[in-house]
Amino acid sequence: MSKTVETDSLEIFANEMEKVKGALPKKIEANPENAEKGLAKLVLTLIELIRKLMEKQAMRRVEAGSLTDEEIERVGETLEKLENKMKELKEIFGLKDEELNLNLGPLGDLM
Amino acid sequence: MDRQIKILQDKNSYLDLRRQERVTLLEILDRALEKGVVISGDIVISVADVDLVYLGLKVLLSSVETMERLRGAPLSGAAEEPT
Amino acid sequence: MRLYVYAIIDSNPEGIVLPIPFSRQKSRDPDLSGKERTNSGVEESIKGLSEAPVYTIPYRDIGIVVSDLDPQVQIETKESILKHEEVVEALMDRFTVLPMRLYTVFSKKEDMFLKVKNHYEDFVENLDRVRDKREYGIKVIWAGDIIKERIINAHKNESPAHPEQSGIKFMKEKFEKYKIDKEFEEEADRCIAIVDGFLSRHASEKKLEKLKTDNLLLSASYLVDNEKRDDFKKAFEELKSSGGDLKFMLSGPWPAYNFITLSHSVDGKFGGPDLIETILQHKDPEKKEGRDE
Repeated sequence: MSKTVETDSLEIFANEMEKVKGALPKKIEANPENAEKGLAKLVLTLIELIRKLMEKQAMRRVEAGSLTDEEIERVGETLEKLENKMKELKEIFGLKDEELNLNLGPLGDLM
Repeated sequence: MDRQIKILQDKNSYLDLRRQERVTLLEILDRALEKGVVISGDIVISVADVDLVYLGLKVLLSSVETMERLRGAPLSGAAEEPT
Repeated sequence: MRLYVYAIIDSNPEGIVLPIPFSRQKSRDPDLSGKERTNSGVEESIKGLSEAPVYTIPYRDIGIVVSDLDPQVQIETKESILKHEEVVEALMDRFTVLPMRLYTVFSKKEDMFLKVKNHYEDFVENLDRVRDKREYGIKVIWAGDIIKERIINAHKNESPAHPEQSGIKFMKEKFEKYKIDKEFEEEADRCIAIVDGFLSRHASEKKLEKLKTDNLLLSASYLVDNEKRDDFKKAFEELKSSGGDLKFMLSGPWPAYNFITLSHSVDGKFGGPDLIETILQHKDPEKKEGRDE
């Protein structure tokens, strides 16, 4: 039983690791009061996933130079609207960015 | 508000832990909460959020069913006025 | 009475299925000419959650390590976590251990056996793979914030502002952020390759997670054969002394938490095609299974 955790920088590691985990796992309570919020969180998480994927894809296309100026303008306008809409919805449901993620256990985090 | 599983009695006692203990606890959590042999017991204490996805979807489906029941008709194509 | 499961272990190397002192069952001692004798007096069983004795339930040639758990007991506590780990570590000295995820609890023994039965081949494969090996955790912190600053400043002078359509402006800003993140990640990859270069040759398997935060460059697990343990630690010391501004943390030895692979990594109805099937079943009242959690 010779478990060691050794480092010269305990405090720094403690801080960073806490950022990752928050140290306290969360659980959605499916009772009437917060079922709605749990639901909103789930739905918004999935929308965020799609939005981020689209943004990333757009960036790759810009990088590859495969979009015309007009296309860049149109995509930019749409992505901006989407981003603003999501900000609104997050505010309405009182959800923070960090909360819109799903931990899929052995598969890691969704985003 | 999501119910946080109170791993420690209260936040202060956690901060009171010596750094070594904090880091050790974090290291254990880093492993034992999601890794190892991952099979669900038949009691879902529900730490892995895969269960939560299922639970969330169950809630979603229940909500849809409840709404349909309240309206007295399926949601799609309903021409009723909201109650 | 519930069963709290700590781990799956392989059988005693001598071929005795019920490991002493963790078993409640009687053992047959050939010296006593077939007479049975209990294990009491050999060693006290180690204690698990709620100070309940830990014991092994055999299944074919493997063991399921459990303790009884009162239904009323709250187990989401620091004490339980530490206890879980304590039990697993005690096992590690004597057996090959597949540690269970925290909070694996069964109210019915039959359900537990069913799960173990379903994964039996997986368990045997995993036991063989991690036998005589230990997991070590390596975490590395770098000055991520500072490095990101540097990259941001390098990009700052690139495009002078001039009136633009809003869509293009949005895309330009996003693109700049994209480039910065990309460069940051490439820098991280370079650094990680160096760290990994020191360590991975002494390990049989590894799992690397990069940039869990901007400053947590690397969170890695290495599966190291017992015979290579010293080489690995020496390599870590070498790494530390040549690491420049990097900060290192080594933890271990752990049982192979990060190296368990099950062919159905998510159990029963909770994954992939099964999930969709379950949803569809739930929607159709005739097909409802009535399975409760």
